[in-house]
Amino acid sequence: MTILRLLAGSAVVAIAVAATSVSATAQEREVKLSGFGAMSGVVRSFGVNSKAALEAAADEINKAGGVKLGDGTKGKLVIDYFDDRCNAEEGISVARRIASSSALVGIGPTCSNVAEPLFGILQKKVGDAGDSGLQFPIFTDVAIKIGLAKISEWAFRNVPDEGAMYSSLFQWLKKTRPELKSVFGGVEEDFAHSRASWYAVMKEVAAKEGFEIKGEAKWLLADTNFTNQAREARRAEADIIAISAHPFTTCGMLKEMARQGVKPKLVIGLTSSSSLETLQGCAGEAEAIIIPTSFAPVTPEAQAAAANAAKFKGSLDLHSGASYEVIKILKDVIESEGVVAKPDTLQADRAKIRNGLAKLTETKGLIGVSKRTPEGEAVKPFLFVHAKAGKWEVLHNPTN
Amino acid sequence: MLIVDLVQSIVDGLLFGATYALIGIGFTLVFGVMHKINMAYAAASVGGAYLALRVIALIGGPAWTSLFIAALAGGLFGLLIYWLCFRFIPLSNPLATLMSTVGMFLLVDEIIVHTTDGMPQNYPVVVSGILDFGEFMIRGDLVFVFLCALLAMVVLLYLLYRTKLGMATRAVSQQPVAAQLVGIRLDHINALTFIITGMLGGFAGALIGSAVGLLSPLLVVPLTIKGLIVTVIGGLGSIPGAIIAGLMVGMAENVFQYFRGVTERDIYVMLLLFVFLVFRPGGIFSSTAKRD
Repeated sequence: MTILRLLAGSAVVAIAVAATSVSATAQEREVKLSGFGAMSGVVRSFGVNSKAALEAAADEINKAGGVKLGDGTKGKLVIDYFDDRCNAEEGISVARRIASSSALVGIGPTCSNVAEPLFGILQKKVGDAGDSGLQFPIFTDVAIKIGLAKISEWAFRNVPDEGAMYSSLFQWLKKTRPELKSVFGGVEEDFAHSRASWYAVMKEVAAKEGFEIKGEAKWLLADTNFTNQAREARRAEADIIAISAHPFTTCGMLKEMARQGVKPKLVIGLTSSSSLETLQGCAGEAEAIIIPTSFAPVTPEAQAAAANAAKFKGSLDLHSGASYEVIKILKDVIESEGVVAKPDTLQADRAKIRNGLAKLTETKGLIGVSKRTPEGEAVKPFLFVHAKAGKWEVLHNPTN
Repeated sequence: MLIVDLVQSIVDGLLFGATYALIGIGFTLVFGVMHKINMAYAAASVGGAYLALRVIALIGGPAWTSLFIAALAGGLFGLLIYWLCFRFIPLSNPLATLMSTVGMFLLVDEIIVHTTDGMPQNYPVVVSGILDFGEFMIRGDLVFVFLCALLAMVVLLYLLYRTKLGMATRAVSQQPVAAQLVGIRLDHINALTFIITGMLGGFAGALIGSAVGLLSPLLVVPLTIKGLIVTVIGGLGSIPGAIIAGLMVGMAENVFQYFRGVTERDIYVMLLLFVFLVFRPGGIFSSTAKRD
């Protein structure tokens, strides 16, 4: 009998503990946010870093108590991440898959050649009954080609405005380096971002600031031989060479320029090349290259975020830094719009997030306050960094 | 200025084309022996170069040792590819080895991407410097690559035409049944062929890494495509053809780029391939078929 009583008592205690834990987790609800980007292929590092940044930011929020939902419940952020292989068809397929899940928002993609067609399948104007496009908010962290968010009112981006960055850079160069008069470009022709950044951004703003454009040399993303291009650069005898290319070909061109003794007074790089990849590939040849960037570990928040992302096996740069900020922005929007995160409120919650993002006029970033435009783009604070002894160092802060 | 640029493009293309020739030789040698294409060949060549980089990072050593380490690693990969993609695969099925080597190509590519996070790796340059003749210049490292590639080709040709192993390899490629009847072990010869071509491929991968100054997973697909183009233009199974075709493709690439720009360059290279397929499908030195 004593043993039976003991067993019965243990069972009651066990049931009570289980009931308590069930009721505790019932007060905490999962808030699912799905990321997607290039997790395979040659731009895999972007996806890896984005995923790490999203997870790090979500972990930080969850440890601080989570997200306050519209019905008073605490929400725990849950991040999953899908691979779109930097391929438009796969990106669209992944986005549709995420939209058919319980995710409140899609965060991505990595590549501009995915973002552009993806935004095209979203409903163009909110409330347009004649438009059967996807009604699912996409908040882009990396894909940076200029002017994409205006394609749909369901698309938002937290990417730097390269137009503003390079305009500021050339203005600053005009003021501080008046001896620099001409620019020659090097452009990666078969990648949407790098191509647009030369033709629509660097070339135009440099010309507007009074620099003589001496032409451009072209190559492809996977090219390994830059002898012709370096020769063209040498013949141009420009003061500045602006390389609008990603790290692999940036390094290839810089190495060839070094071989042929092409020594411009200044080299400017593409925003995406202000990363560890460039320094790993050609730290010596990239010495003194100047690149505008929207992330550097110059504030306590940025340093803490970088340390946090490292715990999730990623590194923070201007792209993954934006991913980190996206989670923080979404937390604020979820709370301000009263998102409930229940299965029966899914579409209403998505609309709330969309409306909340559309209403934003500014957000707090890792290195300062970002403005938001009516088109859903961000105008982020930025710095100029230069490669110095194998590291990226801040050269100039335009806001100072 | 125009003539100098054109001559410069031709010379640079010829020098770099030596690396395409090495890759093409690897494809054509395997085809010659097994009458199958090894689609994983270029991937394994780049893999060998990556492994050499890792080994040098671990144990140190001068830059030129990367060539030999890459060759050894390439040989190892070659043997692995033979065992996994050919040895136990039904060779009578025309698609079986093609698919198995495509799978291996993807596997090697993804392993490279995963272990390096897709980041370009600085590759040690064995020879640097430029031979400057005013407006005209020749890259010292490309001359070194060209000479090394020539040496590798000479060694391979010696192996094939002056040794018993080479005789056995040629016997297997011409008459596998008869070769077995005279006591030549088919599996043994096939494995050795893959080891030798793998070593050649690893050596080529290291030379390419040294010439480019960087290694990146981006190299794998273009090298595979160029290797196949060289193999077809040179003639499947023809080593001299692969050598000439490699130099030709390297030169054509640079010349097309000079005249038509980088965005049209590859179109004209493919058109060149098409012309050969239509007018000379057997390749540059197409030979008459041998009968039993």
